[in-house]
Amino acid sequence: MVISVTREIVRICSLSSALVWLVLLMFSGPGLLWAAPEPQEAGVVPNPGADLWREVRQRTPADTTAGPTEPRDMNVWRELRQRETFGPSAGVTQARGVDSGVLINPFGDQWRQFRMERLLPYGGYLLGGMLLFVILFYLIRGRVPIHAGASDKKLFRYTVFERTVHWFLASLVLFLGITGLILLFGRSFLLPLIGPEAFSVLASASKEGHNLFGPLFALALLLLFVRFVRRNIYQRGDLTWLLKGGGIIGKKHVPSNFFNMGEKSMFWMLVFVGGAIAASGLILLFPVFGQGREWMAISHVAHGIGAVLLLTVIIGHIYIGSIGMEGALEGMTSGYCDLNWAREHHDWWAQRCEERGEVITKSDSSAAKESIPAHEPGLESGEVAK
Amino acid sequence: MIGEFIDGPFWYFALGVFLLGVAWRIFSILRAGIAVDFSVPTGSGAVGAIRAIFSRFVPRRPVRTGGKLQLVAGYMFHLGLFALLFFAQPHVDFIAERITGAGWPALPHWGFILASEIAFAGLILLWLHRLLHPVTRLLSSADDYLGTGLVFLVMLTGCLALAQSFEPLRLIHLFLAELLLIYFPFSNLMHAFTFSISRGYTGATMARKGVNA
Repeated sequence: MVISVTREIVRICSLSSALVWLVLLMFSGPGLLWAAPEPQEAGVVPNPGADLWREVRQRTPADTTAGPTEPRDMNVWRELRQRETFGPSAGVTQARGVDSGVLINPFGDQWRQFRMERLLPYGGYLLGGMLLFVILFYLIRGRVPIHAGASDKKLFRYTVFERTVHWFLASLVLFLGITGLILLFGRSFLLPLIGPEAFSVLASASKEGHNLFGPLFALALLLLFVRFVRRNIYQRGDLTWLLKGGGIIGKKHVPSNFFNMGEKSMFWMLVFVGGAIAASGLILLFPVFGQGREWMAISHVAHGIGAVLLLTVIIGHIYIGSIGMEGALEGMTSGYCDLNWAREHHDWWAQRCEERGEVITKSDSSAAKESIPAHEPGLESGEVAK
Repeated sequence: MIGEFIDGPFWYFALGVFLLGVAWRIFSILRAGIAVDFSVPTGSGAVGAIRAIFSRFVPRRPVRTGGKLQLVAGYMFHLGLFALLFFAQPHVDFIAERITGAGWPALPHWGFILASEIAFAGLILLWLHRLLHPVTRLLSSADDYLGTGLVFLVMLTGCLALAQSFEPLRLIHLFLAELLLIYFPFSNLMHAFTFSISRGYTGATMARKGVNA
């Protein structure tokens, strides 16, 4: 009963998070409009600083009025854009600090343009496209069933520690994903809806929450890496699995190991892209190690692109791990998976378990009888779990 | 209007319920008394009680080897929360202003953030372990989840209000903290006070019997 309740909760969480994504992406349309070069539209909060900067930026030499002031304007403008050539042209100041001699940094405008004209629209397209794809896929393909039906036999798949690490990371990804999307797309779609007062509260809360939980994401990644790396090293048969579409496309069965090629690739994406997100986030979060604005801008770009890519893949992961496939979630909630499910999706691993006599009946896997395996699930018995 | 209520009457009500509730629970335990032991004591009960109260902060070997996650996460959460609760600058200011009238040195901002990170990591890991381990799942009651949930929400809203720039965020945090104060005396959270009574009783009884407990 507890398992079914847990499953229900996870399902509700998955659906509600999907709903949040849907709402977020539905409103990415106004985000695209906002990202257009003419930002002065209804619902946009006046921003005197941005207006001033826009005014200064538009004063190119060609626009300056003719007459005796022209050379001076051009010189002033050239001086202002002193960081167009890096390094020696920085100004002199008594203030000591990174970039303290820089009045206006043109690189910052490149970053702003990238964020508004590339990251926001294309990120929205990518996330929205993935969500649409998953919905269409579900409507067309339906839930992948256990063809042989659920059996009364189970295989031990994940230890308590492994499940704890997985859900620790999952909860952080959800929280950081939602707060991050509010920070990225919120001004475009939430501000016109809830007004500046409510949005400023929400944005501040999201920023503080995002900053505080960010380092925990790095910790969770590290735990995940240490615990799961041995089972995620590519091996023979993985490429075949990939070439045959993992079996989810079409009806043909594709054999695989404890983790298939898709799961392994997801793991390595988490390690590398997630690692880049964590590293760039830490650079942004602790600007006390001499990193200048260029580093901060590059980190922000890496952070944004990485997060959008990772979230796109995670939408697929959540789908296939919950409503997309019968029996997929069970292993990560109870620790045990159905034998028939294992035979249909991880049959090389299931075969090894059966040969070793590790199949147990349903009653044995009930609460308080969880066995502690002599080896990590998915590893050979000679490889003792630490 | 609601803000004034949360900041004023409801705060004093919650504090009153907390203080009276905790006093009543502790008084109930002490009033229950202990059975008279007519045997000749082989050791000092008081020494045994004090030894048990402090020595049990150090986990025994079976706990160290069999429950590393709970051990590490448990220490992370409790130490982090203690540091947050009593040494975060906003809390020190609040307690000084509302209760004690005088403050004490607070953690620097980075220490505050670090304590939050540690406390959050510990709490989430413990909560997940409770949900995912078949034995702790069976042993857990609604009270455990409610207590954990409230503590988590108070911590979360506190972290969301870190900028200290928005009154609604502070009020949400304060309101949840007040709910926690009201709930506290009637829940398992009372272990924050009763752990010393429990350990002391066990330590004293065993010391009188000459058992090294």
